[in-house]
Amino acid sequence: MESEVVKTDMVLPLTLGFKKVQTADKYPKGQSRGRQWKHLRYLLQAADASSLPPDRPNYLNIQSPPSIYPPKRYCDITGFEAPYMDPRTKLRYADPEVFKQIRMLPDEYVQRYLALRNAAVVLR
Amino acid sequence: MASVYRPERETDFASFQHATPIVIDNGSSAFRIGWAGEAEPRVVFRNIVQRPRHRSSGETVTVVGDTDPALMKYFDCTRSSVRSPFDDDVVYQFEYMEYILDYGFDRLGATSEVSHPILMTECECNPSFSRARMSELLFETYGVPSIAFGIDDAFSYKYNQKLGNCGEDGLAISCEHGTCHVVPFLKGQPVLEACCRTNVGGFHITDFLRQLLSLKYPYHSASITWEKAEELKKEHCSIALDYMSELQIFKNNKEEAEEKTWHWQLPWVPPPKEEPPSEEELARKAALKEKAGQRLRDMAAAKRSQKIAELEKQLSYLEELMEQLDGAEEQEATSILGRSGYLSQQEIKSAILKATQSLRKAKGESNGNEDKAEASGVDKYPLVSVPDETLTPEQLKEKKKQILLKTTTEGRMRAKQRRAEEEALREKQEEERRSENPELYLEELRARYSELTDKVEQRKRQKLNGGQTNGNYSSSGGVGRGERLNAAQKERMRLLTSAAFDRGKGEDTFGMRDEDWLVYKKMSKDNDDEDDGNDDEESELARIASKIQEMDPTFVSKTEAVQPTPEPPKAQTLTAEDYRISIGLERFRCPEILFQPGMIGIDQAGIDEMVSISLRRLVENESVKERLCQSILVTGGCSLLPGMIPRLESGIRQFRPYLAPLKLVRAADPLLDAWRGAAAFGASSKFGRQTFSLADYREHGENLFHRYNIVYSL
Repeated sequence: MESEVVKTDMVLPLTLGFKKVQTADKYPKGQSRGRQWKHLRYLLQAADASSLPPDRPNYLNIQSPPSIYPPKRYCDITGFEAPYMDPRTKLRYADPEVFKQIRMLPDEYVQRYLALRNAAVVLR
Repeated sequence: MASVYRPERETDFASFQHATPIVIDNGSSAFRIGWAGEAEPRVVFRNIVQRPRHRSSGETVTVVGDTDPALMKYFDCTRSSVRSPFDDDVVYQFEYMEYILDYGFDRLGATSEVSHPILMTECECNPSFSRARMSELLFETYGVPSIAFGIDDAFSYKYNQKLGNCGEDGLAISCEHGTCHVVPFLKGQPVLEACCRTNVGGFHITDFLRQLLSLKYPYHSASITWEKAEELKKEHCSIALDYMSELQIFKNNKEEAEEKTWHWQLPWVPPPKEEPPSEEELARKAALKEKAGQRLRDMAAAKRSQKIAELEKQLSYLEELMEQLDGAEEQEATSILGRSGYLSQQEIKSAILKATQSLRKAKGESNGNEDKAEASGVDKYPLVSVPDETLTPEQLKEKKKQILLKTTTEGRMRAKQRRAEEEALREKQEEERRSENPELYLEELRARYSELTDKVEQRKRQKLNGGQTNGNYSSSGGVGRGERLNAAQKERMRLLTSAAFDRGKGEDTFGMRDEDWLVYKKMSKDNDDEDDGNDDEESELARIASKIQEMDPTFVSKTEAVQPTPEPPKAQTLTAEDYRISIGLERFRCPEILFQPGMIGIDQAGIDEMVSISLRRLVENESVKERLCQSILVTGGCSLLPGMIPRLESGIRQFRPYLAPLKLVRAADPLLDAWRGAAAFGASSKFGRQTFSLADYREHGENLFHRYNIVYSL
């Protein structure tokens, strides 16, 4: 290990005196552990939804509902109010200038713009 | 970020009594650890883990917290990214949590054991599996005696209540890293039934900014890192009091928009000016070129002399053979022939002839051939002048052939002569015309020249496009996919495809007729370079060009001018402007997602609306709600954004009755108040009653957490 790295204590030591179970014992090296964690959504569904009474607050039911206001539409490129939507790319746009621009956009960028508001086509 | 803050290791861990709790504010952006009763946390670092590979040793190492980019060169981060144990605000990846706790306790100075009670913050209504896993981790891996979990916003509220910023009944609006919460407080106790959460936070703002900028400046997307975006957010982002009018300003009022726009100049070095090569350089290059050319010439000469020597050797051998044969008996001759590999004397003769010819050619005397042949024309046709009567029938036949040959050669000669004469005449006429009226003559020449070039061009074009003239012929002669084949190529492709796929329905009759085989000839590639016989035109063109050039030295022949391939357009040199990243509307657009989560596709209410939702959920009368609204505390990292309080105030007012009292206060220190509140809580005498131990956990298991809520009132 390089001296600068050691000096800053950047790297976590493999064994720590205060631990009862060392990391290396818990997660043995060389074993492919794969993805042993689960997404939060899955964990929540598995754990709380079934066992908790619905009248008590839990992580899921304290979420805010959708806004009562009608959602405003903004131009995906410029951020201005967008009265129009391009039927081909599904991008919202503010004015003809932007329309020209979005028609020039490569598909990758279209998808990235759409992904910004969670509207991209997800291929599985 | 020139230097990244890396916490030093504390040294006084052993001086604390075992009863002193360790207080951990486990926020999704930062991890803060310290001792109960103290004013400041001892160690603060970003709550992230990286597991890069150490380059020289190849080991996978664990790095917690922010890292100095200068040191990251020793690590290979290609396969690991920055990880957080959090999803939104819930800890769910306990492997990473363990690394973080390791580092936290290590920095706090723990050496042999962590035998202190732990007070850890969590989010509102933390799912019990997360609490359970966390307690397991703390009990089993670190051997802590007891644990208490408390809500960070509650600690923050209590701390500010102590400071006098808010009352016993009130409302906490907390805009954190991954989420925003609104929690009502009654008698100093959070009312979780009425709290609400929207999954938008500072992380989303930064990420939105980063993505917007990297989409706006694809060229610089490598420079726009998450860390940089975070820095830009903290420095420049602010919340618009009225987002719509802000949009109007940016759309219509250029000057004001320019004033509000910030520019971030990326490091840019002007490209070094290319100096024209010096005389010496040019001379050196020329010398090199000359040298290379000389070498090639030498090589060619050596090859030629070798070939000549070979041919001479063969010739001398053949001549010797002939002499031997001439002087030999018949039997001996056959044996000699047999050894030599030639069938007859005739064959040897022809071989000699061939050899001499190629020798001559090799020596570069080929030009003389024709003249010599012509000179020896008389000798070539010896029978022509001999009268018929003296000849045998065979000789007669020969004579006829010779006569034919002679006449054709003579005809050819005559035609040549005539052509030369015509040429001379035309030259003369032109000369006359030229001397008569040079201007007109030049004009005529030019006209003729352009006419011819057009013709030649058109022919070329036709050849390229297979006879079809489509308007957008490009002179670049591109090689794109859409490039059309010429007629011959098209025909060839057609033949090839038909040959490949036409597996004859019924009988295969291919080859019955000889013409069938011609298909292969047509298919062969040699057909491509058919000469269209436009040589004449081209030579004429060259002639006229030279003539024009004679008269008008400025004239440049089109073929010459066009011939050198057009240089590819030079990449525009980038200026400092190209390295400038402007943040205009983004300054307001990104934080706006807190108020309009729909902008990033999250279908939940914004933070101003959340207050009304929370109040609606609260089963209390209006007077209580009015009281709550007079003591609203705004905390969390995002509350540091300028303009937050006025915007929230105007937003909340829309949901409140007309002229209803409203008071918002920003927390004394939105980042550290939660830890401070927790530290004060941990130091109180009541803390011991709020904890649970390993034995409790073993007895109740996860059920322990279903109804677990600590009492915050001291």
